[in-house]
Amino acid sequence: MSKSVLQFAMLFLGMLLAQIICNRICLFGVAVPIVFIYFIIRLPMNMSANWVMFLSFLLGLSVDIFGNTQGMNALASTILAGSRRWVFSLYFPREDDMTNPVPSIRSLGPVVYAKYMVTAVLLYCMAVFLIQAFTLRHFEITLLRIVSSTILTFFVLLGIDSIATTRRSEKRL
Amino acid sequence: MKNLLDFVIRHSSWFVFLLLAVMSCILLFQSNPYQHSIYFTSANSVSSAVYGLFNNVTSYFHLKGINEDLQERNAMLENELVGLRSQINDYKMLIPDTNAVPSDGYQDFDYVIAHVISNSISQPYNYITINRGSDDGIEPEMGVVDQNGVVGIVNVVGRHSARIISLLNPNLRLSCKLKNSDFFGSLVWDCRSPQYAVLEELPRHVEFETGDTIITSGYSAVFPEGLIVGTIEDKMPTNDDNFYTLKIKLTTDFSRLSTVRAIKNSMKDELDALKQSDYEKAKKGGSRK
Repeated sequence: MSKSVLQFAMLFLGMLLAQIICNRICLFGVAVPIVFIYFIIRLPMNMSANWVMFLSFLLGLSVDIFGNTQGMNALASTILAGSRRWVFSLYFPREDDMTNPVPSIRSLGPVVYAKYMVTAVLLYCMAVFLIQAFTLRHFEITLLRIVSSTILTFFVLLGIDSIATTRRSEKRL
Repeated sequence: MKNLLDFVIRHSSWFVFLLLAVMSCILLFQSNPYQHSIYFTSANSVSSAVYGLFNNVTSYFHLKGINEDLQERNAMLENELVGLRSQINDYKMLIPDTNAVPSDGYQDFDYVIAHVISNSISQPYNYITINRGSDDGIEPEMGVVDQNGVVGIVNVVGRHSARIISLLNPNLRLSCKLKNSDFFGSLVWDCRSPQYAVLEELPRHVEFETGDTIITSGYSAVFPEGLIVGTIEDKMPTNDDNFYTLKIKLTTDFSRLSTVRAIKNSMKDELDALKQSDYEKAKKGGSRK
C-alpha cells in the first residue's frame, strides 16, 4: 500500500513539473498539451471519490499557481475527477471484472483504454477552455483550441503512458 | 439527526465536489485582479524558486538572438547620439549661453534590470514573472520594457519576485500615439496572435500609412513618452464611424523575453498626489454645488 502511495506521490510531482514545462508549448497558437490530467486518469478506480476529487483539485490548484490561471485548472480538474467514474462506466460497465483497479492498457485493453482516455481529455479540454474564454464571442477559436488541444494531449499522454508502462515491465524482467 | 448525518455521508462526494468547485470559483471570480493574494500567483517564493531553476537552464537558449537585438539597438542609439551631439553643437553656436538650451523635461526615469523567469503567451490572460521584487525596488504599477519595446505593468510584488500583467492580456490598456503626431488611441490585445494587438479609438481624420510607428503617449506616469510599441499593420473593420481600429504588429517578441527593465518614475508620487488633490478639489466643489 505504502509503495503505491509513494508511486502516486511521485506521479503527482512528476506531472506538475511536466505541466510547468508544457505550459511553454503552444502549437500553431492554439494547441496546448495538458499532461497533468494523466494523474487523474490513472488514479485507481476503487479509490474513494472524495479523495480523487481532493487530489485532483490540489494538483489543478498547483498548476494554477505556477501558470497564473487562478482556479481555472482547479475547477476543471474537480469536474473531471467528479465525472471520471461516469466516463469509465460508459466503456467498461462491469467494474468488478477488472484485474487491477488502476486503469491501464493492461487492465482495460487498448481500445477501451484509448476511448476512456480520449473522452476524459475531451471533457477536461472543454471544461478548461470554456472556463478560460467564459464567453461565446470568439467561439470558433475556443472550439479550435478544444479540438486541437484534445488531439495533441491525447498523443502526448499515449507517449507518457508507453514510457511509464515500459519502465514497469522492465522492472519485472 | 442520525438521518441527516446518514444523508450527508451517503452523498459526501457531492458535497466535496460542491465545496471544491466553490473554492475554485472564488479564486476564479475574485472581482479585483489587483487584490489577488500573492500566495496564489507565480510571485510566491516556492514557484519563483522553481522558475528560477528552470530559467538558469533556458536563458542560454535565447542569448544569440538577444545579443543581435542589442547590437542593432546599440547601433541605432549610437547614430542617434551622433545626431544629437551635432545638434547640440549647432545650438552652442547659435546660443552662446548653453544654459538657455531647454532641457528635455523634468520627468526622471530610472531602471531596474530583471530577468524573466516565467512567461506565457498561449492563455487568453497572460502574465510574466520576474526575479526582482520589493527588496530590489519593484513596486506595483511600474512599467516594464525590454530592448525592443513595451512589455507590461507590474501587478503583484513579492520580496524577490514580481508578477507582471503582460501586454498580451486584455486587462491591460495602454495609451499610445502615432509617432510624429499627437493623436492617441488605446492599445489592447484581442486574445488572438501574440504578435499583434489592436489600437482602438484613433480619430477618423488622422492620416497614417501602414508601417508607421506607434509609441507610448506618456499620459500616465507608468511609461515615459516615446517608447516604441509597434508598427501599423492594417486597418480593421469597425462599427464606429468616428474612430479607426488598427491592427498593430508589436515590436516586442513575447515568445523570447529574457531581460527586461522596470521603469521607476521618481515623479510618480508627485503626479499621483497632484491627481489625488485635483480629484478631491473636484469632489469638494461638486458637493458645494
